[in-house]
Amino acid sequence: MDFLQKTIELFTTERYVESLFSGLWMTVVISVAAAVLGLILGSVVALVTIAPKSRAIVLPKALCKVYITIIRGTPMALQLFIMAYVIFAIRGFPPVVTAILAFGINSGAYVAENIRAGILSVDKGQTEAGRALGLTGATTMLRIVIPQAIKNVLPAIGNELIALIKETSIVSMIGMYDLTMAAQVIGGGNNMASYVVPMTAAALFYLAIVYLLTFCIKLIERRLRAGDQR
Amino acid sequence: MISVKNLYKDFGKLRVLSGLSLDIKRGERVVLIGPSGSGKSTLLRCLNQMEEPTYGEVWLEDSLLTAPDPYLHFDIIRASRTYQKLVAKGMSDTDCIQKIKAEDLLKKHEGKAYHSMMKTLEKENRIDINLARQRMGMVFQHFNLFANMTVMQNLTLAPIKLKNKTPAEAEAKAMELLTRIGLADKRDVYPSTLSGGQKQRIAIVRALCMEPEVLLFDEPTSALDPEMVGEVLDVMKSLADEGMTMIVVTHEMGFAREVADRVLFMDEGQIVEEAPPAELFANPQNERTKSFLSKVL
Ligand SMILES: Nc1ncnc2c1ncn2[C@@H]1O[C@H](COP(=O)(O)OP(=O)(O)OP(=O)(O)O)[C@@H](O)[C@H]1O
Ligand SMILES: [Mg+2]
Repeated sequence: MDFLQKTIELFTTERYVESLFSGLWMTVVISVAAAVLGLILGSVVALVTIAPKSRAIVLPKALCKVYITIIRGTPMALQLFIMAYVIFAIRGFPPVVTAILAFGINSGAYVAENIRAGILSVDKGQTEAGRALGLTGATTMLRIVIPQAIKNVLPAIGNELIALIKETSIVSMIGMYDLTMAAQVIGGGNNMASYVVPMTAAALFYLAIVYLLTFCIKLIERRLRAGDQR
Repeated sequence: MISVKNLYKDFGKLRVLSGLSLDIKRGERVVLIGPSGSGKSTLLRCLNQMEEPTYGEVWLEDSLLTAPDPYLHFDIIRASRTYQKLVAKGMSDTDCIQKIKAEDLLKKHEGKAYHSMMKTLEKENRIDINLARQRMGMVFQHFNLFANMTVMQNLTLAPIKLKNKTPAEAEAKAMELLTRIGLADKRDVYPSTLSGGQKQRIAIVRALCMEPEVLLFDEPTSALDPEMVGEVLDVMKSLADEGMTMIVVTHEMGFAREVADRVLFMDEGQIVEEAPPAELFANPQNERTKSFLSKVL
């Protein structure tokens, strides 16, 4: 009974609803912006890593390798702290931007690895056939290899984005007010004095976002699968 | 039309082609046979530069497709520092050139004169490989139709991109060819729904849509179920009848006998023997040819 009562209280008290939704908003903003950044960064890094060897590309290739190694080899929380307390330790620097950069850069490394694997998984014969017709490497990549690679990597990218959304919950560690933080603050307040209800509400919000994302990815996958009805 | 000059191809330490020369005339139908690993595919792939030769040159008419090979041009060798040092030591011209060629003595830097000659040769003769490839179609053992595109998209992508055709023009041409091989009804399906024989016939049409001057076939029927081999060979025969220049790697000796002007037997990276099919099959001269033919005929 207490649970029901507290639930009603949570969703009827304006202050609580406001907190919850502003936390949700923050989570969504960070996730979406970081995802976009991560996808762009990851695509560029992936293309650099698989680009044919030439003198001009040696340095970018090395940088990309270092980037991926460092990001994948260190904890996300630590990366966030370094961003917040070392790199952007500037008074008045918006913490949202810090968080977006930290998560975008982190996600980019994983996306890059996924895309690289996806491109390499496309049969070499596809590239050869394109080049043998006289198409340039870039056209072959763009029109033949990448569309097939996207289909291959979509599930992995989906998983990465889901992980990203959930991982943003650690922004509370640098004092930001996201969905998780909102639940904690509401629960810890004297009036509510219970964590169960706000935490459950936050969990349901996360679930809803992840479910929505999963659904969208399924939809795209189905569309891309037009090519292999067997 | 195609001229291969002293072609070498090494994969690391493995020498796959060793000093192979070959001339192919316009309209000629050449069949390449030879044991597995003898370098047939590598030779074919060196023709359109899918593999970059280690030494040697490939010419398409008057156009150089490879980087110029200094060892093929005596005047360039003579311009090199290495040559001049040897001559200064009192060696004769012929000995010098022979020594340099035999021992692969030319280095990266051989002096201004040498490099300017190399550059001139390249500038005057070499053409963009993508342009050359438009003129040399290739058909693969495993078809390699673009999996993300319908048959029609497979056929029209390159002509629209590279030959400045409008989509309507490209489609009309593709439809005409598809109709000829009896697959007009497959225009909008994806390759995964086709049989092997259908895929390969469409792959041939894809090459034809670029209106190439020569077609290279690398074991076009080897990946097919036996009952589909015939339909692909029929398409190839009709192309041959129309006078298409063709270079075909195949194990189909019947096809070679019927269609080829010339059969080349390759072994260990060299052309061991060549003759018109009737002659080569009935009366092989070389021991290795004999033993190969006794196994496959
Ligand atoms: N990309 C490569 N890297 C290393 N070795 C290669 C490569 N391509 C071919 N080879 C080697 O070169 C040799 C000749 O290969 P190639 O494919 O030209 O032979 P082939 O005559 O076409 O044989 P098959 O009848 O089996 O197709 C083989 O020993 C092969 O292993
Ligand atoms: Mg082969």
